[in-house]
Amino acid sequence: MTERLLEVDGFRMHFSTRDGVVKAVDDVSFTLDAGQTLGVVGESGSGKSVTALSIMGLVPSPPGEVVGGDIRFKGESICAMSEERMRHVRGNSIAMIFQDPMTSLNPVFRVGRQVAESLRVHKGASRAEADAQAVELLDLVGIPHAHERARDYPHEFSGGMRQRAMIAMALACDPDILIADEPTTALDVTIQAQIIELMEALQARTGTAIIIITHDLGVVADIADRVLVMYAGRPVEYGTAEEIFYRPAHPYTWGLHDSLPRHDVPGKSVLRPIEGQPPSLVDLPGGCAFHPRCPHATGRCRTEVPEPRDIHSGHKAACHYAGEPGFVRGSEPGATREVGA
Amino acid sequence: MLAYVVRRVLQFIPVFLGVTLLLFVLRAPGVLPGDPVRLITGERAISPELYQQVVEKHHLDRPLYVQYGYYLQGLLQGDLGTSFQRDMPVRDIFAAKFPNTVRLALAAIVIEIIIGIGAGMVSALKRYSFLDVFVTLSTSILVSVPVFWLGMVMQVLFGIKFKEWGLPFMPISGMSSAQFPDWAHIILPAITLASVSTAYTARIMRSQLLEVMGQDYIRTARAKGLSSNAVVWRHAFKNALIPVVTFIGIDLGAMMGGAILTETIFNWPGVGYEIFLAIGQRDWPIVMGGVIIIVFAVMIINLIVDISYAFLDPRIRYGGEVR
Repeated sequence: MTERLLEVDGFRMHFSTRDGVVKAVDDVSFTLDAGQTLGVVGESGSGKSVTALSIMGLVPSPPGEVVGGDIRFKGESICAMSEERMRHVRGNSIAMIFQDPMTSLNPVFRVGRQVAESLRVHKGASRAEADAQAVELLDLVGIPHAHERARDYPHEFSGGMRQRAMIAMALACDPDILIADEPTTALDVTIQAQIIELMEALQARTGTAIIIITHDLGVVADIADRVLVMYAGRPVEYGTAEEIFYRPAHPYTWGLHDSLPRHDVPGKSVLRPIEGQPPSLVDLPGGCAFHPRCPHATGRCRTEVPEPRDIHSGHKAACHYAGEPGFVRGSEPGATREVGA
Repeated sequence: MLAYVVRRVLQFIPVFLGVTLLLFVLRAPGVLPGDPVRLITGERAISPELYQQVVEKHHLDRPLYVQYGYYLQGLLQGDLGTSFQRDMPVRDIFAAKFPNTVRLALAAIVIEIIIGIGAGMVSALKRYSFLDVFVTLSTSILVSVPVFWLGMVMQVLFGIKFKEWGLPFMPISGMSSAQFPDWAHIILPAITLASVSTAYTARIMRSQLLEVMGQDYIRTARAKGLSSNAVVWRHAFKNALIPVVTFIGIDLGAMMGGAILTETIFNWPGVGYEIFLAIGQRDWPIVMGGVIIIVFAVMIINLIVDISYAFLDPRIRYGGEVR
């Protein structure tokens, strides 16, 4: 029986801004077990990063406010934790790496010192011990001549190396959960694959659970066990990687698939992007937030917010028509009119 | 690093030539009124022999470029010429005055560093609080107040009015007096000299710290589980300080030269006050010597500031060690 590490339960994080309330994360639920990998997929502004920062307790308040639901780490509510207690969790039990390794390392400190810092804070290591362990960690993430490179400054590292250093830093205290917020977006394609492979290899070795946030379905296909697809702050589909890739049930997920370039399928060289723009989170369309861009939308979609419904055990989609017979990827728009009417 | 320092020192040479040439042209006949011989001997009538003697002693009968050559020759030997009015070597005059200017500038810099950086940090960390509004408002006022006005207001308030009201008052003129300990004399001029720069330092520090606190690496530091004190002092402070140090460094140079107003208001016997007096008396060797001393001091300080960057910001390395 694997340990349940994280439970996100109906979590809502709203921001009060001058323009109104931004529902950055609205009613998101998922779980994460030890050793598992969860992929969170969505466009910019879909609430992926805010969800991650909420798990770290790093959303500044104000303007951020938890308006409902809860996040529990090993049964303990993160939302109710004192700052003192949260600090002990951060970097120690839950670690995070960020999108842009170019700006995520402090330019005025040596890389080794930055890796060593977590060990000093959480494990009470002496400076010499921490420095020595930092070199081991840098070696572990595949930095050549780690002994010398630990004394370099971040600007002396390439982008891929910096992301490796970020991973070393995150793994320093052997965390239960590693949250990777778009870890490969800012990197060259060849380096992207290396970083993903590195994360998989390290996971196999340490058993760390991973939450990988990305807008790249290809990355998720490589690494994730379960996938959460988000749109405009709400979960639209949640299931195993296999279900999301081979039996997607939500029109938005279909759209994501259609906008992927494929060279192996003849006649699929032309991309079919999802028409339109993601909505403003201050002024969401009524009903299903995706309806203005959904080719299958009906009158019901314009007025009624779809609740996540079970397609089958564990596979959920927030669409009125998900799982209906004939409502599958590639079906003609309009087929729903009769079904729903 | 050594190569960089040597290169920078070599750059002093053209700057020196330019500055001295400019000053020398200003004293050429016809540019500014007054016969140099009359300036030297005073208004009394003198014999033609004596007149000729003075002309020859100062090479005033030779073409201007030859005079310039003589001046440079003296300069290379550390000779800044002789004062017209006082018949003293200019070097000796400034040897006595320069330490006073340095003392005033250092006192002002200490105020600037402590109050400027401190106020800027409080302002940034307690953003939109009463203190932040106070700092932002008072610095806006300070940067727009003319230095001479501020100096005079302080003289009137802390020197004269406080005395009238029976409050502890402060000396407002000179460097020493029977009534006060010597150190008390530096307070008002140092505050006056530091005022505008302190306001700028506070504003730069505030905006830098706010900017740095929004950087990704600060989020990384938080994500490591550091306390907010550790985040500010270990990760943000050093990064925010880099532009502030630049400003303070340049400003220390400016204070060496820019103290003319402050020194004049408070009769502070420094380089600036001496230049001010010499301009009134058209004592050109003193003006030239004073300006050359200031230029030299500014260049040396700027060099030191540039070198000190390398210690604050590892991205800057001067010469060599390229990976």
